[in-house]
Amino acid sequence: MCGIAGVMYKQKGSHEIGASLVDMLDGCQHRGPDSTGFALYGDKHEQLQLRFIIPTDEAGKAEAIKNIATLLEKHSAKLVTEESVGCSYHIGVDFGGDLLAFTKEMEEHAKLVSVGHYLDIIKDDGTAHEVDSVYNIGAIKGTHAIGHVRLATESAVRPEAAHPFWATGFEDIAIVHNGQLTNYWKMRRRLQRRGFAFHTDNDSELVAVYLADKMDQGETLNSALETAIDDMDGTFSFLVSTPTEIGYAKDHLAAKPMVLVENDDMIAIASEEVSINRLFPGQSVNSTEPAPGTFKTWSL
Amino acid sequence: MVTIDLSKLNITEANEKIRECGQNGQDVEVINPDAKHNIGVGLTDPINVTVKGSAGYFCGGLSHGATYNIEHNVGWAVGDNIYAGTCIVGGNAGAIAGVGLRGGDVIIRGNMGSRAGQIMKSGTLLCGGDCAFMAGYMMYGGRIIILGDAAENVGQDMSSGDIFVGGKIESLGNDAEIVDMEPGELESINEFLAKYDMSFDGTFTKVTTAGKKLRYGKQEPRHRPQPFFVHSKSSNYWNAKVQEDIWIKGEVGRYRIRGYGASKPVPHLNDIAFAKDVSHVKADITALDGVQLRTTIGGRWGAKPLDLSMPVMIAPMSYGALSKSVKIALARASRLSGISENTGEGGMMDEQREEADQLVLQMLSGRLGFSIQDIQRADAVEIYISQGAKPGLGGQLMAKKVTAEIAEIRGIPMGIDLRSPSRHPDVLGADDLVIKMDELREAMGHRVPLGIKMGAGRVRDDIKIAYKDGFDFVELDGLQGSTGAASTEVLENVGIPTLCAIQEAIDGLKEIDAKDDMDLILMGGIKDGVDAVKMLALGAHCISVGTAAIVAGSCISCMQCHVGTCPVGIATQDKEHEARFDVDLQAQNIHRYLESVRWQMAAITKALGYDNVHNVGREDLVALTPEAADITGLPYVPGHRDHTRPDDNLSTLSRKAG
Repeated sequence: MCGIAGVMYKQKGSHEIGASLVDMLDGCQHRGPDSTGFALYGDKHEQLQLRFIIPTDEAGKAEAIKNIATLLEKHSAKLVTEESVGCSYHIGVDFGGDLLAFTKEMEEHAKLVSVGHYLDIIKDDGTAHEVDSVYNIGAIKGTHAIGHVRLATESAVRPEAAHPFWATGFEDIAIVHNGQLTNYWKMRRRLQRRGFAFHTDNDSELVAVYLADKMDQGETLNSALETAIDDMDGTFSFLVSTPTEIGYAKDHLAAKPMVLVENDDMIAIASEEVSINRLFPGQSVNSTEPAPGTFKTWSL
Repeated sequence: MVTIDLSKLNITEANEKIRECGQNGQDVEVINPDAKHNIGVGLTDPINVTVKGSAGYFCGGLSHGATYNIEHNVGWAVGDNIYAGTCIVGGNAGAIAGVGLRGGDVIIRGNMGSRAGQIMKSGTLLCGGDCAFMAGYMMYGGRIIILGDAAENVGQDMSSGDIFVGGKIESLGNDAEIVDMEPGELESINEFLAKYDMSFDGTFTKVTTAGKKLRYGKQEPRHRPQPFFVHSKSSNYWNAKVQEDIWIKGEVGRYRIRGYGASKPVPHLNDIAFAKDVSHVKADITALDGVQLRTTIGGRWGAKPLDLSMPVMIAPMSYGALSKSVKIALARASRLSGISENTGEGGMMDEQREEADQLVLQMLSGRLGFSIQDIQRADAVEIYISQGAKPGLGGQLMAKKVTAEIAEIRGIPMGIDLRSPSRHPDVLGADDLVIKMDELREAMGHRVPLGIKMGAGRVRDDIKIAYKDGFDFVELDGLQGSTGAASTEVLENVGIPTLCAIQEAIDGLKEIDAKDDMDLILMGGIKDGVDAVKMLALGAHCISVGTAAIVAGSCISCMQCHVGTCPVGIATQDKEHEARFDVDLQAQNIHRYLESVRWQMAAITKALGYDNVHNVGREDLVALTPEAADITGLPYVPGHRDHTRPDDNLSTLSRKAG
């Protein structure tokens, strides 16, 4: 019940990824008016970057920040930068311990939505332009980004239930997903037995955890996507990103649309061509539609 | 030539302008299309529209007689449902090119996406390049020509028509086969190609239906029908019905089919009662005085709403399932009672349009007899997702009823056991649904309301989608709602009761803080004005009667609607049987029944202390059983019935009043 979009510039450097994605998501906002989210990749930060969803009222906000500070202290993470914007609290910390244990406890006590040295996930209720006006996404530069517009059905409209999803426990991996996994509970139980915790009932969260788990076991993004297509049942089109890669996977039924455009400079993928066309106003783009049951990745 | 710049006009303004040019006979060029959706939808004049670039979904959809030249690519469903005209795409097409094509030509010079020509009925779809899987999926007729390769499942479940493939065929679909070309076919293809400056040197492989699944293999034996009242009572197991089921399944080796809705006992409106003692209304002949029943439907976004004299509609039932005479009688009764009639599946009849003051046009998955002309003369349009009797299934019309006339209207082969698709080719989720809604609204010029009809399944989620996607009204149908034909397993087991449906809908809307602006219409086992007021008190805005109206019009509830030999001429297309139905008499009977519903609603409204039926609320109700209390959240008042017996009192009222 959504629209997805992604863009990657092939040359390393500083590109208008924020502005591009705001445009693309605005182009398919009709597919999901409830919330909009962005996963943006730029230069490597010295500190580990964490973004939390926190209450917007002053008392709730103060309490959440205090709570986060206690958790940081407990894990010997040193706060270096902090910023509070919209419904989120964004910090940079010096941390050298076990990331999985650290983030697991963080997630149990706070709404942690983004972790990484390259990645920043920003998501909130509202349209692409509304979220942009609060978080100034348009000013963010980098190499690649994926994003999502959501129409909430089964689960509630809350910023933390919006996409993209960060792969719990694994830094710098994000996914956006359009579709519905029908074997969600079965796969979730399987991953839970492997020790993973789930924080929403959103099937997209599962895609992120599944892929991260595979890659943690030494598989490449490519091979993780290949097994995903066989392991996941239902209808889906999703995009996944790492610090150096972007990829898609599409189910065998091809019930969820996806088109892509690749030229010498960039790759743009979206649910509908009308989104991609926002990057090329007044031009006809040479788009292709990925075949059903296929996946592909691109690297910087 | 008029130039329309889509970077300056929005799509609604652009389409208005295009239609205006159509009326003036001026050709149009659309610049800066930038893959936007619904370009040129609803145009019914034979002008040329050139799209200078790529178009999005539904380009040229629901148009008639116009010629579209799209210089680059198109998204999903180019040329959707056109009866006449031409769409030429210079580049590639997305999924379901030429979906529901009913005539005219759709030309894709490049490649085309999956399910091309799904449910097409006639006309030609030509692809110059390769085509993705399931070309000709469920096609009912017409011709698909593919010069390149065709991916998996070519001709999946096609009922008729021809697919010619110049390249290689990855695999054939279910019930499709390869046959030899007939004399003249190659010439005809070459002629067609030449018309569009194309040519082909190779040979074609022709795919048609193998025809093994067009009819149910073994027909059910004729047997004495058990009327509803026999069928639905006695013990829960090893009763006469269960025995008969097992015998017949032993003979035919498949599920059984019958008419009507679920017959098993489920919690219903009888299990709730009015909190107040309403017995004092007795035979109040002044009940109608001063009670406001008038109801409008579908004004959410400024379209002209339906204006009903009371919160009652005639439920959607098709010409096909029912005879033409019955549809005329229903339309007339709806006019006499100042309410609305509904086309159901299979398009709008002229006679029905003339008789009904307010007519809702249904759009179903098979798009059978669905046309832009009917959209333009409808008072509301509704998208059928499913019905309460069979959520997840499309309409079924058994061969006996697929007469030459019905086949002609619907654009399908005569004499097949018609199983309409279970889902819309162009609505695979809430996200695509939005674009389809826009297409329909563009075709209607945003003039009349757009609704959605849903069989009650997962109402709590679905109602949120309906609200967020912006429907003007929703019809919800519980499992007691009837159908002309469905498998008994689905009838009895899939839907949820009407009482659960209304409660889930109200709860779902509350969860998303919906405003009270999307009109909710409930149906499924609503038999009179007492039920209607209870439903309104639970939160419905209006109710709809189908079975009750048919029973008023002489139906004997034998449940053999699917057979096609209805003894009272209702559920039949057999002229001899239909002749037993007296239109004038039955239209009056249905009208008088509707008036009794009106009287009951007014009397109860008054007795409850209101002068507007829409002021009744949940506080006016109590639950008589723990189940009903659990479902509705109403207070459980076990002794209530002993004191006031409201249902019993009221059930005698209309007789006295009459």
